[in-house]
Amino acid sequence: MLGDLIGLALSRLRTGKMRTALTMLGIIIGVASVVALVSVAQGATKGISDQLQSLGTNLITVSPGFTRTGATRGAIGSATTLTLDDASALSTLSDVQTVAPEITTSKLVIAGSENETASVIGTTPGYLSVFAYQVWVGTFLNQASVDHNLRVAVIGATTATNLDLTSSSIGSTIYIGGLPFQLVGILQSKGGTTTADDQVVIPISTAHELFIGSDSVSAIGLSATSQDAINTVSAEITTTLDQRHGITSTGTADFTIATQAQLLGTVSSVSDVLTLLLAGIASISLLVGGIGIMNIMLVSVRERTREIGIRKAIGARGRDILSQFLVEALALSLAGGIIGIGVGVVASFGIGTYAGWGFVFNPVTVVVAVGFSLIVGIVFGVWPASQAARLDPVVALRYE
Amino acid sequence: MSAAVGEPIIVLEDVSRVYDTGKVQVPALGGVNLEVANGEFLAIIGPSGSGKSTMMNILGCLDRPTSGRYVLDGQPVDELDDDGLALVRSRSIGFVFQSYNLLPRTSALDNVATPLMYQGVGRKERLRRSQATLERLGLADRLHHIPSELSGGQQQRVGIARALVTEPALILADEPTGNLDSHSGGEVLDLFTDLHALGRTIVLITHDIDVAAAADRAVHLRDGLLQEAVLA
Repeated sequence: MLGDLIGLALSRLRTGKMRTALTMLGIIIGVASVVALVSVAQGATKGISDQLQSLGTNLITVSPGFTRTGATRGAIGSATTLTLDDASALSTLSDVQTVAPEITTSKLVIAGSENETASVIGTTPGYLSVFAYQVWVGTFLNQASVDHNLRVAVIGATTATNLDLTSSSIGSTIYIGGLPFQLVGILQSKGGTTTADDQVVIPISTAHELFIGSDSVSAIGLSATSQDAINTVSAEITTTLDQRHGITSTGTADFTIATQAQLLGTVSSVSDVLTLLLAGIASISLLVGGIGIMNIMLVSVRERTREIGIRKAIGARGRDILSQFLVEALALSLAGGIIGIGVGVVASFGIGTYAGWGFVFNPVTVVVAVGFSLIVGIVFGVWPASQAARLDPVVALRYE
Repeated sequence: MSAAVGEPIIVLEDVSRVYDTGKVQVPALGGVNLEVANGEFLAIIGPSGSGKSTMMNILGCLDRPTSGRYVLDGQPVDELDDDGLALVRSRSIGFVFQSYNLLPRTSALDNVATPLMYQGVGRKERLRRSQATLERLGLADRLHHIPSELSGGQQQRVGIARALVTEPALILADEPTGNLDSHSGGEVLDLFTDLHALGRTIVLITHDIDVAAAADRAVHLRDGLLQEAVLA
């Protein structure tokens, strides 16, 4: 019987191709936009998460606190409360693998005829592993270069491109803030659009001596032995620094601890809201498509009043008529849903490729979209179908 | 389950139908008594406004009497609900309409097979029985034509095939020749005579005394009341 009803519905939809296509268009647009927008939101999230992951997942960053001028609170990092001694104290903690204190400044960098104002980072050999960099060519800073304030520099991939430096440039001289440095290495690109590839790395001792004039640090990067140890390590860092800085009450700490996990958490909760929002907007078009189906079904019931009367006269019960019209509405919405998924997948593939985060295909979205279009079919098909089922055969047979 | 030949297939006892239009009560049938025996060919003759349509609706289980008893094929049907009436129509009644009432854009074969679908008969069996019935009525070469491709006489024969295919206890024909020329109309009436000869119970409702002459008994319906008529 169900097979017969499906056959009836399909032949009915075939006889009015234009009307069928236009009715389905509403559902197609609705489902396609749900699929595409959710996929875009997830693609964007994945893009951001990938970049964060590339910074190192075991990473903990300690920044100095804020300055206070009277009642006015300065920005995080505006104070210069962290020192090299703090960094060496933290390196003795049990679950800390590597510590990399850093001091950041901005200098004009000249190589041959090219120049750019780059971010100059003074740090230690640990920087490489803490921030998950890899050397593309040459070497990274070694302990000797830090111990002896050597004027050596390692540059990021973007900086290398900007300054027209290649693997053959290793050993050449570049000028940082007007002072000559020997180029010893170029880092591999991390990809993405982060500024992580546009920097010049020099020994922290050299930076202190030539550019800063004190032994303050602008941040201390640490890598924990594992991702699970991050919370333990954060607590240990707090205790150690509280002790060293003489901090006794909470809320007055002169430093801030940020972990990659926190950042990832923030990103994913923001993206969840974004996904919901986009899906919600797309659902509105699905709703409009559903109303289109209801409209066409109501017209159809009116047009086919006599047919309904005939069917009832030759033995159809109310529920036979109800299922016939319901199956028709479902066929409309399901066919629209399936075409919509196709369109949505193609659209999200196009957008993902264009935006550079690739194609994120989530089967859950497809299941939800199909389920949603079926629900739309039922919700907006039931009323017209029950109108049809309730028709009095005597009246319906006489209908012209 | 059909009654033996000669046993009554239709029993109407004091059946009335009053239409309630809100302000006035309009009586269409006022206390009708009728018995139709199994295998009988009865004509109900009545001018327009005599309650013919109401009679047809009640006999066809499309409508319920306001009062009185109606027993069809041994089953009281006057108090059945909508689904119950649909089941009686499906099993016991075959309709033949004045305007054929075939499903448009549907082949003759599928039109005839539709009542069997509502009986839950499988598709293969449906098509086999429908084809056999259409062939019996001389429409073997018209199986896949849609109604608009058929002449009036052919459409009415498809309609009769649809009424016959379920082998109902009662064939109820409402002015079956009303839309046909005299030649096609004569053929349709001959068909009813043949079916009657094969033992089918037929009730034919018409305003035309010449059409009624095909039956072996006739009753007049006047102002919602029945009286026996003498056939020429």
